Amino acid sequence: MNGAHDLGGMDGLGPIDYEVDEPVFHAEWERRVFALTVAMGFYGAWNIDMSRHARERTPAAEYLSSSYYEIWLSGLERLLDEDGLLTRAEIDARVTALRTEES
Amino acid sequence: MSKHRHTEPPSDLVLRVKALESLLLEKGLVDAAALDILIDTYENKVGPRNGAKVVARAWADPAYKTRLLADATTAIAEFGFVGRQGEDMLVVENTPGIHNLTVCTLCSCYPWPVLGLPPVWYKAAPYRSRAVHDPRGVLREFGLELPEDVEIRVWDSTAELRYLVLPERPTGTESFSEDELASLVTRDAMIGVAKATAPDGTAGANT
Amino acid sequence: MPALLAKDTTAQLRKGGSARVATEVPAKFAPGDRVVVRNLNPPGHTRAPRYIRCKTGTIDRDHGVFVFPDTHAHGKGSSPQHVYSVRFAAREVWGNDASPRDAIYIDLWDDYLDPSQE
Repeated sequence: MNGAHDLGGMDGLGPIDYEVDEPVFHAEWERRVFALTVAMGFYGAWNIDMSRHARERTPAAEYLSSSYYEIWLSGLERLLDEDGLLTRAEIDARVTALRTEES
Repeated sequence: MSKHRHTEPPSDLVLRVKALESLLLEKGLVDAAALDILIDTYENKVGPRNGAKVVARAWADPAYKTRLLADATTAIAEFGFVGRQGEDMLVVENTPGIHNLTVCTLCSCYPWPVLGLPPVWYKAAPYRSRAVHDPRGVLREFGLELPEDVEIRVWDSTAELRYLVLPERPTGTESFSEDELASLVTRDAMIGVAKATAPDGTAGANT
Repeated sequence: MPALLAKDTTAQLRKGGSARVATEVPAKFAPGDRVVVRNLNPPGHTRAPRYIRCKTGTIDRDHGVFVFPDTHAHGKGSSPQHVYSVRFAAREVWGNDASPRDAIYIDLWDDYLDPSQE
């Protein structure tokens, strides 16, 4: 697909945002998304090509405005939903429940 | 340095990830202790110091360098650096006339066993879009100005081969031990956006 | 399917999962051959980036036989075939404003390539 992920040769995306002494993860949620994605990869319901394709189906405008772990999260949710392992509605419901708990 | 938008995530995102993890745990699709090991492995155990050891040995031992350039996967495995996202490795050598630069324009492919997880800029749109089109401009942004007569080879890792750049050995390091040599090898030099550090600690842009 | 367990995690990471396939498949091209990338615009997954389509390059080396992502991503089998590192002159890809010396090397599968008629 000719998606936003196919970036080679595109202009107008700004300067390279280099960070000196960059940490491996910038926040706890990134650690979680990384580990969940890799663990679910080993689970074996999909292969790495399916997983890349799920990420590149992140809507183009969203893809370009997301950090890479947000794209991983988007891809993981899509795969779980399409495989029927965990629907977006279930996640939405849990988010609502957690929010109520926290407030 | 500009502001990194992911350092202060919206609370919605944090909550969503929490929701996702709790559901996957409840369904038995992931194991909490396995998640901890995955994070610890890539946060604390695997990183560019691995690649630096490989490069240092290639500088110090010509026979190793020959093996590394002929069959990188096997030569790197001599150190025990194997596995996920490094299953099939290739090492490309910088020379006075050739400078190699690696990128993944389509996603974020990167040689995990030798470099760990990629930095944010490697996975972000500015680098991925321009490394293939304007490598000299990109290198200039990293402070590396290459003469016109140096050939730049950009390696776009579209398949399952993973690339490591073998930088040039800095001059003045003839008496250095392998450990001392490894200390001159940065992550950026093995991606190809920098040269190895000179013995006096400078970036070595003009070696 | 079982979840990845802590006791297996390090071993699984070290094992990885190579996309290399042991199947013997004839190579369509050899190092030195001139090839042109097909004008592919599939609605699904592909690893042939837009910027290289319809461009002419030279096979630099044959990496061996690998799973083909365009079918594998859609549950249509692994279609094992050769992957090559293909060298494209920067000027072939970007025109005469590009450096006359620089080149791009991309890993491409047999099904992305045709022999060049040049």
